Amino acid sequence: MLPPWWFAVPALLVYAVVVLYPTGTGIVYAFTDWTGIGDWSFVGFDNFTKLWDDDAARGSVVNTLLLTIAIVVVQNGVGLLLALGVHTHIKSRALLRVIFFAPAVVSPVMVAFLWKYVYNPKPGEGLNGLLGAIGLGSWRQDWLGDPDLALWSVAFMVVWQFAGYSMVIFLAGLESVPDNLHEAAMIDGAGRWQRFRHVTWPLLAPAVTVNVMLSTIGGLKLFDQVYAATNGGPGYASETLSTVLYKQAFVFGNYGYSTAIALVLALFVSAISLVQVQILRGREVTAG
Amino acid sequence: MSFRYGLRTFALELLMIAVALAFLFPVYALVTLSLKDPQQIAASPLSPPTSPTFGNFGDAWERASFGSALLNSTLITVTSVVLLIAVGSFAAYFIARRRTGLGYGMYVLFLLGIVLPFQLGMIPLFKLVDDAGLLGTYQGMVIFYTGIQLPFTIFLYTGFIRALPSEYADAALIDGAGHMRAFTQVVFPLLRPITGTVLILNAVFIWNDFFTPLLYLGGSAKETIPVRIFSFVGQYVSEYGLVFAGLVLAALPILAIFLVLQKYVIKGFSSGLKG
Amino acid sequence: MTIDNLSRRGFLVLTGGAAAMAALTACGGSGSGDDSLRLVGVADQQKPLDELTKAYGKVKFNASYAPTDQVQTSVRTQLGAGNAPDIHVVFPGNGSAMSMAQIAKANLLADLSDQEWTKKIPDNFKPAFQSGGKTCFYSAGASVIGAIYNKKVFTDAGITAMPTTWPEFLAVCEKIKQSGKIPIALGAQTPWITQLITYALVPSTVYAKDPDFDKKMADGKASFATSGWADAFAMYLDLQKRGYFNDNPNGTTFEQQTSMVATGEAGMAIQVSAVLPDFRKAAKNADDLSMFPVPGGDTADSGWIPAGIVVGLGVSARSKKLDQAKAFIEFLGEQKNINAWAEAVACVPLVQDSSSKIDPALDSFLPFLKNDKAVPFMDQAWPNAEVQPAHFAAVQELLGGKTTIPEALKKLDDTYRKG
Repeated sequence: MLPPWWFAVPALLVYAVVVLYPTGTGIVYAFTDWTGIGDWSFVGFDNFTKLWDDDAARGSVVNTLLLTIAIVVVQNGVGLLLALGVHTHIKSRALLRVIFFAPAVVSPVMVAFLWKYVYNPKPGEGLNGLLGAIGLGSWRQDWLGDPDLALWSVAFMVVWQFAGYSMVIFLAGLESVPDNLHEAAMIDGAGRWQRFRHVTWPLLAPAVTVNVMLSTIGGLKLFDQVYAATNGGPGYASETLSTVLYKQAFVFGNYGYSTAIALVLALFVSAISLVQVQILRGREVTAG
Repeated sequence: MSFRYGLRTFALELLMIAVALAFLFPVYALVTLSLKDPQQIAASPLSPPTSPTFGNFGDAWERASFGSALLNSTLITVTSVVLLIAVGSFAAYFIARRRTGLGYGMYVLFLLGIVLPFQLGMIPLFKLVDDAGLLGTYQGMVIFYTGIQLPFTIFLYTGFIRALPSEYADAALIDGAGHMRAFTQVVFPLLRPITGTVLILNAVFIWNDFFTPLLYLGGSAKETIPVRIFSFVGQYVSEYGLVFAGLVLAALPILAIFLVLQKYVIKGFSSGLKG
Repeated sequence: MTIDNLSRRGFLVLTGGAAAMAALTACGGSGSGDDSLRLVGVADQQKPLDELTKAYGKVKFNASYAPTDQVQTSVRTQLGAGNAPDIHVVFPGNGSAMSMAQIAKANLLADLSDQEWTKKIPDNFKPAFQSGGKTCFYSAGASVIGAIYNKKVFTDAGITAMPTTWPEFLAVCEKIKQSGKIPIALGAQTPWITQLITYALVPSTVYAKDPDFDKKMADGKASFATSGWADAFAMYLDLQKRGYFNDNPNGTTFEQQTSMVATGEAGMAIQVSAVLPDFRKAAKNADDLSMFPVPGGDTADSGWIPAGIVVGLGVSARSKKLDQAKAFIEFLGEQKNINAWAEAVACVPLVQDSSSKIDPALDSFLPFLKNDKAVPFMDQAWPNAEVQPAHFAAVQELLGGKTTIPEALKKLDDTYRKG
């Protein structure tokens, strides 16, 4: 009763041609000194030892991890809250769903361009202006110019764009919790918080898995928004592995070295994803 | 149990609307900027437009040859999404029904595609497409998108198919139907909700993708919308009013599709989460 | 849910894909093999090239323009894969991934030395155009870095004459500050802006005293740290200390800087002349703006200015339409077309004749060019593409107080010596 092998052939073919073969060939460059144009020669593991000693790259690993943790925690936290708020009987829930998801529909680079206007440090403009208008003037910041704040400003922007994406996934999870379970719990005298903890939350585990995995991988590989918003600055304050990788390849002309970084990043992401899958899938339970 | 719209619910409604308004601030910024000319943008970019100009939209449409870009983007997106659904669902069915061995191995193989950074294969792939004579063609782009979005597509489809009881397909097979008919006539129709999800998420990605169309289609008549819009962004001279007007125009079709598919999207995710 | 509906739907999806592909193949056609020239430029080149490609009737063009970063990436990828556009953007001299020297090193630029216009390139600009003695780069002229200023703000502050020495410059800034406006708008959040003030000062603090500085650096006999670069950085930070910049320069973008000067909130911005059109568009009245050279010296004679060749074009050495591509460059090299390009981007034409129209805002810079007191933008002489980004980051860190001048200079030297 199992489907025949040729069901998977078209997918495998296209995937092999477009992804596997070029990536396999591309990995070779990690062991060369290629600048991206012209001739090159093999240098063995030199690029990898160079990476080990590279302060800028090592510093960017910290930023990458911080950024990812912030995104995974806050984006999914906000997404969950939005989902809980929209999964009620309020009248505007259909419109609200669209409003919260809409930012995910715009290209990330353009979102960064837009937010540079929002993050204008002048007191009367953009976010600072809004804060001043509602009496929170003391919260005004130099969002992108303050080296301690720049990375978090980018994180905030990413969360804004994709909280609705996470919300949609959580909503689906919430809608799959059968009403009779809720009712049974209510009849048993459970309060709202208890109902959430013991009925809703366990059944949301699959949604949590999908959201956490996708946002982790996305966060670790995040490039467009950081590069467009801060270019890794001010100074090197918001450099991530992806911006370092890109600059080495296309700004500095160290293509071979950049490929080595990409390879290390790929291994890094794979390892984290594998661990995540094991942990998260252990928690999943079906509604029976 | 019937539901009463009481004071508590109303308070929640107000709270959610307030959150939505805060959420809308950047969208307000986008629309406002698209309605201003360069002087107004310089003077006070985010203040409400006192004398809105719709000129940016007309200019963006004309100078970006938006009509032809719209056609190009639509052709490429629709074809790629159709192929992804067709090819991805078949492969996912195969993988989902074989939980061990070959099926599992293939699952991991495709997951690798989500994890790998794009830069690794970029130059070899470009060489390959060039050697095949597919640069500057619709086909080249469609094959590219199908390839790189298959992992994500299969990830979503596999989870959903695993949740389906196999009795339906088995019944059709026992009745003498071939595997092809069992899948297309019994299983695939049940996949409609996840297909909606796959459709919108892939469409959004392909529609907004900028770099690969620049690389493969740059200079040809087949440039997509993002490529045309980005041509307004220079180092010294940028015409942001045009850029944002173009963005608004580009976002409208996709938002329309999301509105239509909204029901499918949420239902799709829900059923896709079991195992 | 009848069987007919299901089968129709299922098969539609399956065959839809195949049919769509077939249809696309039919109407898409092949991507190459026609007679047009492929041209890729940065967005800033679109205006002159739209005009000139139209005027050049002999061949059709498939032209594409994109922001600088993306074009650099895409053209480098195409160069690396062996399929570069017939004509593509090239940056003058050395010092960046898409600079003439770097691409010529890989033998990927066609030799243009037999064209008429190359014989008229002024001597001091030759390094921007030539690699190994061969000209392989075309540009329409040079832009200068100076102060774009708002005339109204200056007259309101009681300034009657442009400063010709550094102390006079400081005095002018003080007057503007006293009149309640920001003297200098600085948009250091946008990386390439950070270098402009350094570039405006270094010609006076370094090259006026030591014109062979670049050669000495290349030979290892001089360094950033032991040169007038330290003075330039000190002057840069001095401006900040005196409160002559806007608040939060590291958070202010190029667009915000432009609007400050255009709306009269700030007196001036140290900028490259190529942005004059953008500034003028943002101002209520285009005549409100003009430019003057930043006087980095102590006396009126000791000041030098930076004048750099503008971004231009190169012909791919592997182009299959080499002759047609080179013919177009020859066309661009005609005086009237050099004039047209220069006018479109507000730069000084490479070679001038009586019909050359130079933007009046650039008048005060011309004497420097005539008297050889102009230095190409410093990055064009740097041996690798890492020094310039290191400079950007160094300035941002200096402005933010995260590093000191000696540390910053050491970093620049270390990066330079990577070779």
